[in-house]
Amino acid sequence: MQRGLLPGVRVLDVGQGVSAPYCAKILAQMGAEVIKVEPIEGDSSRAMGPFPNDIPDTEKSGMFLALNANKFSVTLDLTSPGGAESFRKLAATADIVIQNPPPVSLEDLGLGYENLKDGNPGIILTSITPFGGRGPYKDFKATDLVLYHMSGHAHGVLGPVKNPDDDPPIRAGGYQAEFVGGMAAATATLMAIYGKRMTGKGSNIAISSFEAMVTQLISGLANSAWGRPAPPRDLAKVEEAAIGGMVGAIGGILPCNDGYVAISPREDDQWERWLVVMGNPTWSMDDRYSTRDARQKNSPSLWKLLSDWSVNYSKHEIARLGQAQRVPCFAVNTVLDLMRDEHLSHREFFVEMEHPKAGTLKYPGAAYKLSNSPLPLTARSAPLLGEHNSLIFGGLI
Amino acid sequence: MDELPLHGIRVLDFSWIIAGPTSTRFLASMGAEVVKVGSARRPDPSTRGPAFQAYNQSKLYASLNISKPEGLDLSKRLIAISDVVIENFAAGVIERLGLGYEVVRSANPDIIMVASSGTGHYGPHTDYVAYGSLLQHYTGWNSISGYPGRGPVTGGLWADPWVGMELAMVTVASLNNRTLTGQGQYVDFSMAEALSACLPEAVLDYQMNDRVKEPIGNQDDFYSPHGVFHCAGEDRWVAIAVTSYEEWMGLCGVIGRPDLASDDNYSDAEGRRQHNDKLEAAITDWTMQRSDREAMKLLQNAGVPSGPSQDILRVFQEPQLSETGYFSSVQARDGSTRYLPGLPWRFEGAQEPILTEAPVLGQHNEYVYGELLGLSAKDIDRLVEEEIIF
Repeated sequence: MQRGLLPGVRVLDVGQGVSAPYCAKILAQMGAEVIKVEPIEGDSSRAMGPFPNDIPDTEKSGMFLALNANKFSVTLDLTSPGGAESFRKLAATADIVIQNPPPVSLEDLGLGYENLKDGNPGIILTSITPFGGRGPYKDFKATDLVLYHMSGHAHGVLGPVKNPDDDPPIRAGGYQAEFVGGMAAATATLMAIYGKRMTGKGSNIAISSFEAMVTQLISGLANSAWGRPAPPRDLAKVEEAAIGGMVGAIGGILPCNDGYVAISPREDDQWERWLVVMGNPTWSMDDRYSTRDARQKNSPSLWKLLSDWSVNYSKHEIARLGQAQRVPCFAVNTVLDLMRDEHLSHREFFVEMEHPKAGTLKYPGAAYKLSNSPLPLTARSAPLLGEHNSLIFGGLI
Repeated sequence: MDELPLHGIRVLDFSWIIAGPTSTRFLASMGAEVVKVGSARRPDPSTRGPAFQAYNQSKLYASLNISKPEGLDLSKRLIAISDVVIENFAAGVIERLGLGYEVVRSANPDIIMVASSGTGHYGPHTDYVAYGSLLQHYTGWNSISGYPGRGPVTGGLWADPWVGMELAMVTVASLNNRTLTGQGQYVDFSMAEALSACLPEAVLDYQMNDRVKEPIGNQDDFYSPHGVFHCAGEDRWVAIAVTSYEEWMGLCGVIGRPDLASDDNYSDAEGRRQHNDKLEAAITDWTMQRSDREAMKLLQNAGVPSGPSQDILRVFQEPQLSETGYFSSVQARDGSTRYLPGLPWRFEGAQEPILTEAPVLGQHNEYVYGELLGLSAKDIDRLVEEEIIF
């Protein structure tokens, strides 16, 4: 059986940090041949960490190792004439080039789409920038934090609060804007390569990470288009739980003896079954909690009653009991819980790879299993800096 | 004129609510013919409300009652002339409806069937009842999101749109593969895994340092200053992230604090992190005197990454979006003109994507059953009468 979905596709990953390397990682784990073109000092994510024992090491950054598995690495100083020439030769053999300026902008180096097209008419260039290289913010700088807040996400994450002026909006943990930008880039790139297979024509694709994050809020934007107000952050102004906002009758978080569990017995039948989980407490007969509207109205006292019960149990216990009654509920998992999760383990979600410097580690795999083309997720661990210089420059070009 | 990349692809779309329809919107707008099928017997729960108008742009919509044998038979005839089948029912449902992969494949051997559910289609918890908002907790994301020392956050809904894009991605990847091998594919997609896949730094930190990552609000493990700062006006904030010495100098210049710029205590991120409170006060003294947009402008002019923390209505009014043609106008069914969101990519100099108004159930019955399947008007009338085209 053939491995992966993209055999024979060659990608040059000129990106640094998270977004473009993530885009290229997706293509690599789908079976494309991805060559990272790193500056002499290496991709900036080699300095991001986490590092074993918190000691920085170019070859041991967790973020780099995860984002660059299954790729090859060459080093080139694109600002030197020789480096640029080698890059041009390499690009002539590639199907796709991915970049996320700054710091490296192929256009500024005379290696932009028009230049690459000269040596390779069907080339696909995918460029990820904070604002897509157009519009009033064309030259603005942004990070994950800035994009998360500007795109409207941060206003929803916390849920309604008592005093918005004391409790500012926050971003989710991790690097969501970077990953979403990278995923949008991979999706567009795959569309372009499909189009190229049909027509022979290449593409010049601009991805704005800001637009990618904004597009995630398509339902909120549609509400705005129909003149609806933004969901309030002020708890006193919340009349009805907004979609996804886990407040009141829609659902919420309960404290447990070892963490938290998230529950959402929103429909009447789910609520009835949830009461079975709790052993049908006598207070549930009270008019204040007998209908969804009543539960919404009396949610503060309701959540107090639920919490008094839940603190006696573990989060996994409640999740198990609840799901046994077909009530939507899940433990609020830490990464440690994830790595011990029997379901993920059964599905072999985490994959193990041995790296010559960083050792044997488990990495998150892919969200999809393919019946006819198993993904080569562990074809090779992340490359050492310039590991494939002689292989690539010696033989292939 | 050039064709859009997915021109010539037909997608039979059994999906509903948010994630599935989001994915097929991407496919439809990039040239695929997406035939959404649904039934008045169990309408798409997202049908009420404006969001449906965005999730389902550019699609055809046929009614089909597959709970009746003749309806199921029609669905197989549609599968036979499609390239992709996509569904996002709870695991096991499509099989109970009589359209599991084995059935689908026997109707069309090289079909690509994309099946998405909360936790995927096999494994001990495959039957777990899931909502996107709950999956965000299960996947580890909410254990690292929030303020330190407080409980998990309760808001945010990004599992569904995230999965929507990723479903489109794996569909197109499978189409690429089919051009090489002629072979279809069954894609078992787990919403939960899509989110857990994007926390590698936390997963590796645990293995490398035995550290279970905790929420740090708007702060960063390394960079400083890194947060939101109150501006003039109620609940107005500007996000600022200083990621280099040059940006730190830029920030000190803008807020008029050369004393901070020359203080060695603050010359690197670690030093600044140790004095977060003091720096926050100094920055807020300046931001409180300005609107969030003015603060952004002044900071960006000095090369400091920054921007206002906006609610969705302000995003909708964002000049960066309107001035770059992100929105497209659509004439709604009531005759009004509405500006709907665009796509997260631009193909420079290429054919514009198709972004037309969302259909209503049954709007394209005549095309789907008459033109595509070649049924006569009389047959179609009978099928409508018998609540099969329903």
